[in-house]
Amino acid sequence: MKRKHFLSSLLTAGAGAALPALGASGRRVAPDPTMVRPAAPRVPDYLTKGDTIGITCPAGFITMKEIEPAMQQIENWGFKIKIGDTVGKRDFSFGGSDAERAADLQQMIDDPGLKAILCARGGYGAVRIVDRLDLSGLSNYPKWVIGFSDITVLLCHIHRNLNMAGIHSKMCNSFPDDWSKAEPVQVESILSIRQALAGEVIQYPIAANEKNRTGIGEGLLVGGNLKTIETLSGTRSDIDTVGKILFVEDTGEYLYSIDRMFWNLERTGKLGGLQGLIVGGFKIKPDDPGEEFGRTLYDIVLERVKAYNFPVAFDFPVGHQKNNYALKYGMSHRLTVTAEKVTLEDHI
Amino acid sequence: MMHIPPYLQPGDTIALVCPAGYMEPARAQTCIETLRGWGYIVQVGRTMNSSSDNYFSGTDEERLADLQEALDNPAVKAILCGRGGYGLSRIIDQIDFSAFEKNPKWIIGFSDITILHAHIYTNYKTISLHAPMAGAFNDGGAEGVYVASLRAAMEGAKTRLVCDAHPFNRTGHTTAPLVGGNLSLLAHLCGTASEIKTKGKILFLEDVGEYLYNVDRMLYQLKRNGRLEKLAGLVIGGFTEMKDTTRPFGQTVHDIIRAVVEKYNYPVCYDFPVSHGGDNYALKHGMEYTLIVGVEGVMLEE
Repeated sequence: MKRKHFLSSLLTAGAGAALPALGASGRRVAPDPTMVRPAAPRVPDYLTKGDTIGITCPAGFITMKEIEPAMQQIENWGFKIKIGDTVGKRDFSFGGSDAERAADLQQMIDDPGLKAILCARGGYGAVRIVDRLDLSGLSNYPKWVIGFSDITVLLCHIHRNLNMAGIHSKMCNSFPDDWSKAEPVQVESILSIRQALAGEVIQYPIAANEKNRTGIGEGLLVGGNLKTIETLSGTRSDIDTVGKILFVEDTGEYLYSIDRMFWNLERTGKLGGLQGLIVGGFKIKPDDPGEEFGRTLYDIVLERVKAYNFPVAFDFPVGHQKNNYALKYGMSHRLTVTAEKVTLEDHI
Repeated sequence: MMHIPPYLQPGDTIALVCPAGYMEPARAQTCIETLRGWGYIVQVGRTMNSSSDNYFSGTDEERLADLQEALDNPAVKAILCGRGGYGLSRIIDQIDFSAFEKNPKWIIGFSDITILHAHIYTNYKTISLHAPMAGAFNDGGAEGVYVASLRAAMEGAKTRLVCDAHPFNRTGHTTAPLVGGNLSLLAHLCGTASEIKTKGKILFLEDVGEYLYNVDRMLYQLKRNGRLEKLAGLVIGGFTEMKDTTRPFGQTVHDIIRAVVEKYNYPVCYDFPVSHGGDNYALKHGMEYTLIVGVEGVMLEE
């Protein structure tokens, strides 16, 4: 029964992954979004008290001490923790060798006793192990994979291959040591992870922005770190965005590079069929002297989406910043952008 | 069957255009004079004297129009790009190659121009020149071996390059079409209509100013796209001005490349003189080459 379910979900995911057709001119033609209905995602069970969350390092290294604040908080929430072998391991920037990181994550994927896998931090390295993973354990024992930044690789890969929901959120390295000194948005961002795990509605504090483009869009919410999405292009972790709401964030990139990445989205058919675009935080690397790009992030995005009609929301609280709320990745959402406010609702 | 544009002869016209980043007009003077000295008519495009006050050498429309005119003008036998930078991604899908297809001409450049090489190779099966650009004629470059290799290549001389052995080289030999260019751009083209299918080809790569982890990530992207698995050979040019993160990556760029291709058997050579670092011989992109990686040294011959 489970096997059958797995196969059918793979087939649906494959069918949904088709890219827009090439027109006579060789350019990608935006499909009619009303023609595309992405299959409903598989949603792992929400967590209840007593459930266990695994902590692993698929990318950068972290010390045991650095995950203590996260462990304390997660235990306060009433969950148990299983610490993976890669926590405390280090191979230069990685949390252990590729083989060690893959084995740790695989073991958690296969563990029927785990309800969620929290990646300890991002950095770089998930793409080096993703093709070694056997996702059938995740399909047989669905669980939430949690993280962002480099973990975009895993979120995209799982969405593409299993159409299973995940959680895009802060990780262990963002839990404050001292809650009394943490800013309210940081606290709320951390608490939103529990809300997402419990299946509760999350209220996103989204400021209106005069650059926003109004409208309403409905679809599965996908995206993540923009550079990471670009580096997945053409691979078997590449996401299909047709009929979906795309969110992007990035850090440390030049404006010209952000522009080039938006062109990659366009040229790989990821903008044409969108239901909505959410632009999170972008920490921009200043232009080199004499190489001033002369366009802001707003200019870059609005120029790129000019030909389309979907709503666009800027300054969404997601990214490499304190206000980085948990997003229910791969689940159905409604994005409503008006001149006065922006709302993102799940459970629709 | 690949299309080889007619080789140039003195008296032919070479168009200079700047399809990407802005270039000071003065930076092109030596190039213009040198080409004229070689007996060519030089048609200086509007984007070479741009009044742009921003990053680009003109708006997308201006850069497109200038390049389009050079492509469409039957008198123009070669298009030499002023410099790279960034900008071809923004106009590549709007270029009309129908006149170029009927009358192929040499497209010359590297770095961001990798997009043009890849696009015309994949879509129009046309050979082009991965070579120094106008800026490289300055500071004595016009009399140097790299500009000389550009002249020789566009005038029809067969390219034959040798370089020293590198301890990481994997010996072997192969004869196959040579494709490639700037790694960042080749990664950026994955999944687009400009991407090169590299199976059975000799791939050459170079890059500048990237973080080591990002070089690793881009190589994984090529690998995961199946672009490294079935190569005939791999030529690694300069990876100059590499940067590292606060937490060191722990591998040199050569370590990174060697690890990514260690499972394969094709010949690989390192430190080949194609780069942003000055050492940059002209290569005919898409042309068939013989690559010999020997214990004593490396030869790449057309």
